[in-house]
Amino acid sequence: MKRHQVYHIVRREFLARVCNKAFIFSTVLVPVLLGAYTFLVPVLFRGTTTDELRLGLLYVSEAYVEEVVAALDRIERPKVIVVERQGVSLAQRDEVRGRWSERVKQGDLDGYLMLEPSEELLFNARYFARETGNIEILVRLEDALRSVLLQAVLEGTGVPLEKVARVQRAELEIVRISERGEEKGGFGAAFFSTFALAFLLYLAVLINGQGMAMAIVEEKASRLIEVILGAVTAMEFMTGKIIGVMLSGLTQLGIWVGCTLIAVLYALPAVAVSLPPDLGLANLVSLEMLFYFSVFFLLGYLLYTTIFAAVAATCTSTEELSQALFPAMLLLMVAFFGVFFAIPNPDATVTRVLSLIPFFTPLVMLARINVLSPPHWEILLGILLLIVGVLGCFWFCAKIFRFALLLHGKRPTFAEIVRTLRAA
Amino acid sequence: MQVLRVEDLTKEFSGVRAVDALQFEVARGKIFGLLGPNGSGKTTTIRMCLGIIPPDAGTVEVLGSPDPLRVRERIGYLPEERGLYAKMRVADQLAFLGAIRGLDWPTAKRRAEWWLERLGLKDRMSSLTNELSKGMQQKVQFAAALLHQPELVILDEPFSGLDPINTRIFKDILLEEKRRGVTFVLSTHRMEEVEAMCEEICLIHSGRVVLKGALSEIKASYGKASVALEYEGQGGDFRGLPGVVSVQDSGRKARLRLAPGADSQELLKALVERVRIRAFRLEEPHIEEIYLQEVGAAELLSRKPGGDFRREEVHP
Repeated sequence: MKRHQVYHIVRREFLARVCNKAFIFSTVLVPVLLGAYTFLVPVLFRGTTTDELRLGLLYVSEAYVEEVVAALDRIERPKVIVVERQGVSLAQRDEVRGRWSERVKQGDLDGYLMLEPSEELLFNARYFARETGNIEILVRLEDALRSVLLQAVLEGTGVPLEKVARVQRAELEIVRISERGEEKGGFGAAFFSTFALAFLLYLAVLINGQGMAMAIVEEKASRLIEVILGAVTAMEFMTGKIIGVMLSGLTQLGIWVGCTLIAVLYALPAVAVSLPPDLGLANLVSLEMLFYFSVFFLLGYLLYTTIFAAVAATCTSTEELSQALFPAMLLLMVAFFGVFFAIPNPDATVTRVLSLIPFFTPLVMLARINVLSPPHWEILLGILLLIVGVLGCFWFCAKIFRFALLLHGKRPTFAEIVRTLRAA
Repeated sequence: MQVLRVEDLTKEFSGVRAVDALQFEVARGKIFGLLGPNGSGKTTTIRMCLGIIPPDAGTVEVLGSPDPLRVRERIGYLPEERGLYAKMRVADQLAFLGAIRGLDWPTAKRRAEWWLERLGLKDRMSSLTNELSKGMQQKVQFAAALLHQPELVILDEPFSGLDPINTRIFKDILLEEKRRGVTFVLSTHRMEEVEAMCEEICLIHSGRVVLKGALSEIKASYGKASVALEYEGQGGDFRGLPGVVSVQDSGRKARLRLAPGADSQELLKALVERVRIRAFRLEEPHIEEIYLQEVGAAELLSRKPGGDFRREEVHP
């Protein structure tokens, strides 16, 4: 292997990847979209939440109506205004409800509550509205109605209402015991950070690996490949390409991480209020986690770009490529969805097995480490198997490269590839 | 001194022998013609000479090394199927192709600019490659094969698709490099070029050597057994005439190939009765005639009796 030649292949490949519209677009767009998602969405949601909720109140029995109105009045965001209330008999109820529903449709009211006497509880409440997707509003309405019920039940028992309300708000504090010690933060933090890291890896492989695969096919189709193979070996060519793509992926990752850091340092404090309380930065990513992420990112990225390169070497057109890449993409997708399974079930047998299969190790093991801290030997074994997998893929890919790069016309079937490799 | 020595070279593709115990040598400073019809194994031979694919059997010795890969920085190669990176600037592209052949970047860049200037592409240096015409791209590819000043240059169909002006430019450059001591292997089936440029040839068919040696000797060995005829009038078919084995008739001029020992005077007599003769000259055969004759014979040999015959003008 001549380093000088490999260097120039790397250099060209890197420049071709980085000075590429798709790369620039995705590098800029991903942080913008992620930023928009984490920072803008809460802000936007806050903005779209109606400041005022104009409600009607329909009741069959007078009992507790005053208390309900008072409780609704206490809701602060959005401000609930009871614009109208009306008592109805059971016989009239459906007819009046029909009329009110019509008014809701026309926008005269945002919605209305209907109170009916109940045998088990003091009353049943139903909420009719145009917009029922805003959980914040629903929770507030529910709280208000509960407090009325609670007050009524407690009346005369001498138990202070305040205390009961506090009891209701009591929370379970979640502390994870791991080899790192104790950490606060539960499912939310683990899920969020694991998902973010897995997504970064997934995205980087997808964008750069696919770009490289496409480039290889184009080099084949434009018959450039033979010019290059006159100067460098297939192995050098492949190594150069994969390293070049790797560097471009790291560059991209670097830009993303940089953007995230800037965002965290400058922008996060301003909007921190809108994030769940267990999403503190320290909770999100530890140094140890960053180390494992780097290891799995590098190895996973290498594994998948090698696979992509091997697949591309057997294709003769870009149409063929997208079809041929599908199984490789499927592996990546299984790994990605494995993360969703691994987070709630980090120690299940399936997860443990998945995390030791090289194709899935980078994502699934990463998820396991983040939520559970599996025994060191398992992590080590996973990394070891992954390295073996990478080397194996590299070896296999080099063989495919050597014989498939100069093939044109019909794409060889998998069986043909295996046969040729066995013969070689 | 031999620059390239091929011995018993054999390569099979899924049971078919593409190259079969091939043997030839190329001397330093020569232009060597590797000839043969499509599918005769020329490109496979070249690829093995360059170490792109390994031979099944036999050896290749290039520039004194048994492993072509070890001397690849001293070899230039222009493949028949060639392309360029569409989205790369011309000068960068050429420099890159030089760099992967071992030049350091500043040298590669300087030489790329020098070559582009020499080929009249100075003002296109920073154009994207896909903005160049096909002819210009061919010039870039041609320069790429010579940029790193190789000692041995292998050109696979270098003139295909070139217009006459560019063909002239390429030939001039080729001869200039030859004068500096560069050895060329020219793989082609354009016989005018072979006739005009090659000093030695190796004609292969179905992966086997049919004919090899110095072109002048080969031609001499065929004797002055060709007739260059210029005529007027409707001659009809010359093929039935006494002693004639093959005919290339262009309407006003014709070349008739005589069987060994045939009497040219008999032919002249027969011709006088048919057409008005303006010139009748006994000559050495053109390489094209030798080619057709030898390839035709080889093809006949490799065919089963009762097979179809496409090449009607050949009657060995």
